[in-house]
Amino acid sequence: MMAAMARAATTSDVFNAIAEPQRREILVLLRAGERPVTGLARELGMTQPRASKHLRVLREVGLVRDRKAGKQRLYGLDARGLRPVHEWAGGFERFWTESFGRLDAYVQDLKQARQEE
Amino acid sequence: MSATGQGAPAQSAMADREIVISRVIDAPRELVFEAFTEVRHLSRWWGPAGFTTTTRSFEFRVGGAWDFVLHGPDGTDYSEWISWTEIAPPERIALRHGESRGDPNAFESVLTFEPDGAATRIEMRTVFPTKELRDEAAGKYHAIEGGQQTLGKLAAYVTEIVRKGAEG
Repeated sequence: MMAAMARAATTSDVFNAIAEPQRREILVLLRAGERPVTGLARELGMTQPRASKHLRVLREVGLVRDRKAGKQRLYGLDARGLRPVHEWAGGFERFWTESFGRLDAYVQDLKQARQEE
Repeated sequence: MSATGQGAPAQSAMADREIVISRVIDAPRELVFEAFTEVRHLSRWWGPAGFTTTTRSFEFRVGGAWDFVLHGPDGTDYSEWISWTEIAPPERIALRHGESRGDPNAFESVLTFEPDGAATRIEMRTVFPTKELRDEAAGKYHAIEGGQQTLGKLAAYVTEIVRKGAEG
């Protein structure tokens, strides 16, 4: 039902990328705005190489984008990358929520047709 | 939207394998129930907007089945096999969702129809018997398990983040 989302191997898979708690923390921090890797590392209490590694994974799956600002590189959220997760998670529920919406409209038609008979 | 997916509190061990979807429909329950009993009704509303069905066979009785193809709006066809395990007009229907007769990965939903003033509250409770079957269903329906599992929280988080991302 609803085109299956192909699951790619580890680092290129958004599902794997956000399975890592520290990477989710990075995403939450980036919601507040762009940050340099040094700032992220400090706020999360991790080494800069570790933060860089997480950022690389997040960038590869399209959750984070970066840009140069003067001498430093700023990382920001690219939430479009989360859409597959959203669609995957909402699927069954949405299928039936929408079906019940159509059922409701159909039953209203039925009700009216019966009243007119 | 009046439907809710995770309204039921995680009270039982079952809760983390369960999805509950409900809706109040402004019509007598006999009429709402009737919309489940004939293919000419079912084919008018089964599936989200843009989905259509082609029925191969239909027999609404306990042990009977609805064998049909569901056509997605993107042109993808899905083989569907719904069989009824309990029919109690106008209160309750239990059915199994599968892809074909004897599908080992079929799973069961119970639909209940309750009067709510002049309206009817319909509730569909789907329980996935094992984690493996739930994962199978997730592959097909991209199902989210209700209850305590982190996916529920993740979905809410993702919705939030996508919204904020779209705004920002």
